[in-house]
Amino acid sequence: MAGGSVSECKEYLFKVLVIGELGVGKTSIIKRYVHQLFSQHYRATIGVDFALKVINWDSKTLVRLQLWDIAGQERFGNMTRVYYKEAVGAFVVFDVTRGSTFEAVAKWKHDLDSKVKLANGNPIPSVLLANKCDQKKDISNSTALMDNFCRETGFLGWFETSAKENINVDEAACFLVENILANDKGLPYEESNGDRIKLDQETVAAESKSGCC
Amino acid sequence: MAAEDLPSEFDVVILGTGLAESVVAAAFSRVGQRVLHVDRRSYYAANWASFTFNGLLTWIQENQEGSHPEEAQDWSSLVEEGEELIRLSNSDSTSISNVQVFTYTSEEDEEEEEAPNTTEEETGGAEGDAVKEASETESADSKEEETEEKQEETAEGGGGGEEEQAPSTEGEEPEADQPAPSAAQSQSEPAKKKKISYTKLVKEGRRFNIDLVSKLMYSRGSLVDLLIKSNVSRYAEFKNVTRILTYRNGQVEQVPCSRADVFASRQLSVVEKRKLMRFLTSCVEETEEQRAYNGRPYLEFLRDQQLGDNLQHFLLHSIAMVTEDTPTEEGLASTRNFLRCLGRYGNTPFLFPVYGLGEIPQCFCRMCAVFGGIYCLRHSVTCLLVDKESNRCKAVIDSRGQRITCSHFVMEDSYVGVDRKKVDTPTRFLSRAVLITDSSVLPSDSDQQVSLVTVPPIAAGRPAVRMVELCSSSMTCMPGTYLVHLTCQSVGSAHEDLSPVVNSMFRTPESPDQETRPSVLWCLYFNMADSSGLEVQGHDLPSNVYVCSGPDAALGHDHAVKQAEFIFQKILPEEDFCPPAPNPEDIIYDGDNPSPTATEGEAEEGEGETKEEKEVQEQEEVQEEQSLHPEE
Repeated sequence: MAGGSVSECKEYLFKVLVIGELGVGKTSIIKRYVHQLFSQHYRATIGVDFALKVINWDSKTLVRLQLWDIAGQERFGNMTRVYYKEAVGAFVVFDVTRGSTFEAVAKWKHDLDSKVKLANGNPIPSVLLANKCDQKKDISNSTALMDNFCRETGFLGWFETSAKENINVDEAACFLVENILANDKGLPYEESNGDRIKLDQETVAAESKSGCC
Repeated sequence: MAAEDLPSEFDVVILGTGLAESVVAAAFSRVGQRVLHVDRRSYYAANWASFTFNGLLTWIQENQEGSHPEEAQDWSSLVEEGEELIRLSNSDSTSISNVQVFTYTSEEDEEEEEAPNTTEEETGGAEGDAVKEASETESADSKEEETEEKQEETAEGGGGGEEEQAPSTEGEEPEADQPAPSAAQSQSEPAKKKKISYTKLVKEGRRFNIDLVSKLMYSRGSLVDLLIKSNVSRYAEFKNVTRILTYRNGQVEQVPCSRADVFASRQLSVVEKRKLMRFLTSCVEETEEQRAYNGRPYLEFLRDQQLGDNLQHFLLHSIAMVTEDTPTEEGLASTRNFLRCLGRYGNTPFLFPVYGLGEIPQCFCRMCAVFGGIYCLRHSVTCLLVDKESNRCKAVIDSRGQRITCSHFVMEDSYVGVDRKKVDTPTRFLSRAVLITDSSVLPSDSDQQVSLVTVPPIAAGRPAVRMVELCSSSMTCMPGTYLVHLTCQSVGSAHEDLSPVVNSMFRTPESPDQETRPSVLWCLYFNMADSSGLEVQGHDLPSNVYVCSGPDAALGHDHAVKQAEFIFQKILPEEDFCPPAPNPEDIIYDGDNPSPTATEGEAEEGEGETKEEKEVQEQEEVQEEQSLHPEE
């Protein structure tokens, strides 16, 4: 998914997955991060594949971050490979007010690691988000426990977030992108994908009328 | 992930995730219908699926063991008054047969440089077995220091059953008709150059995406048009098929098909080049002369054009891709279709999806899910509940015994009980072979070619074979290997139909003297039922039940796309079939003020509800947004 370099400014396109149980606030986090919006009213995510956030990382780096929501209804865990393929990072989200959503985190992480890997075979970098922290104050007691859990399950780290109060959402994204970029620099591109073809309306419109033979 | 109950009411319930069913699912969901899409298998795309190498080993094992149909449960308590219960078939045993596997490469490298990495092999539950077997194979033969370590890992990961497994995964299935060819033993061949070992194939298994069906996409075919029209194309990338090859007089030759090819061709004489150009230009328009040949073989027409043997072969077998007795009008139509598709994306008329054809049904499933469709794998429908009076299916009972109301029911043909299927023609079969080889059938400057190879019948009464050779940049096989798919309409078993072609075009233990040919490292033969003759309706089923057939023998995908469109229009004649989905980057969210009473928790709980006013609003907004950007 990584883009090539253009003279001085390097441009990257990163696909990042946002997964977790139903109702933990995946869509809210995405909308908060990308659109600076929070609404009480999101329903199962309809008609939206991913949201795009363009980040001017530094003077030489432009990052286009595609955040892929699981379609609200893929909630039985049966995501298509289309969803996972070529992802380079992931957020696994749970709701601090509902213990069962935390219990499912390990399952989601395991599922993630079995379905997508980096080109070198390593798991993709992932960050755990303890969302809705505005509704529960006492999570700080469990910092050591959470750190330990992240080490054991292979998360880079975890953040207490609130999409509603805009707490730590940018920080978590920044942390993940940092890690993705580090990976990207360390790895040679497996092959050039330059000869891959996208089918879209533009290609059709731009198509020359020159016949064959 | 949680095992929760499904909603109990849908507009359409779809059983099976093959191409036609998946297109139907996307089409319904896209126009706001509530869709439940389930498959009894643990993977998407049914007989259209693609597998990693390890996933394929599991599939092979399942198909060699035969299926274990679950015991039919008694759901009579769920039947309401005036209803009748129709049981669906819950075994898939009929569609795949004659599965045979041969491993021609050595089990292990001479010097295995690194210890197997268990995290590398960490796969989903279903794949675990195949990996375990492979590890056992390793430990059985290895004399190296790592042996102990490996055995430990095996014991840890496997858990029981180690003794009863033979130390290799290949071999004949018990019910195969043919005796095992003696050469089919492993390690039968002293490697001349260092070949990729079986262990390596397993270790790098995730780099393979091996399709059960082998087709290509005509660049102006109905599938490409549909992908573009619906914007489902955003989920996939494609590669051009870079060469059309043909097998003739024991040689693999490149077929010149574009203008550039014709001029660049080294096999053709100047006269032939001129003749071919003239022919290709002239056949685009229908002429009086051509009409005179209607009903007579295309071969006769070609002969009378005085093209010579070379050109005649190319035109008949590789461009029209028809047989010697195909009528002229059909041969010409197929030639024109080929020419029409040239040059849209590349020098051949064909595209191939990166990661394999199994991507395509999943792309449509994703689109369905994005518009609210609910997905459940390892989940089936066991019975239909039919209203006796109207002969309509009112509800279905799923494999967990839940009654789910629906207005329409669409299913893959293999779920239809034999007693209810109306079959006019005897079931046909496809013969398939999948080879992993170490080099291309026609080496060239680039080792990253995607080639279609047409192989005319090697003898009278033998089938014409279509072969597709994929390189590693198609993301279907590991670097250093090629994935070769052979397909033909069955005459005998897949092995009978295809092994003569394999042995003449490749180096195998049965053809060890073919030293200049690519070596086969591993191969699989199987037959798949071709149910494409089946009608969508007309079976002994309720009037609102529709049947999709599985993969057909044709090179393109027209059959499945047509079938899906037919079903959609039958049910919703007024609605647009797969209108373009909005571009995610064009969607603008409204920043509506949070209602002061609702808390976040309550609002989030609303996510579980599938159909609500708000949701409809959102969708309308989405559609409105789309209509503002019709060209994007």
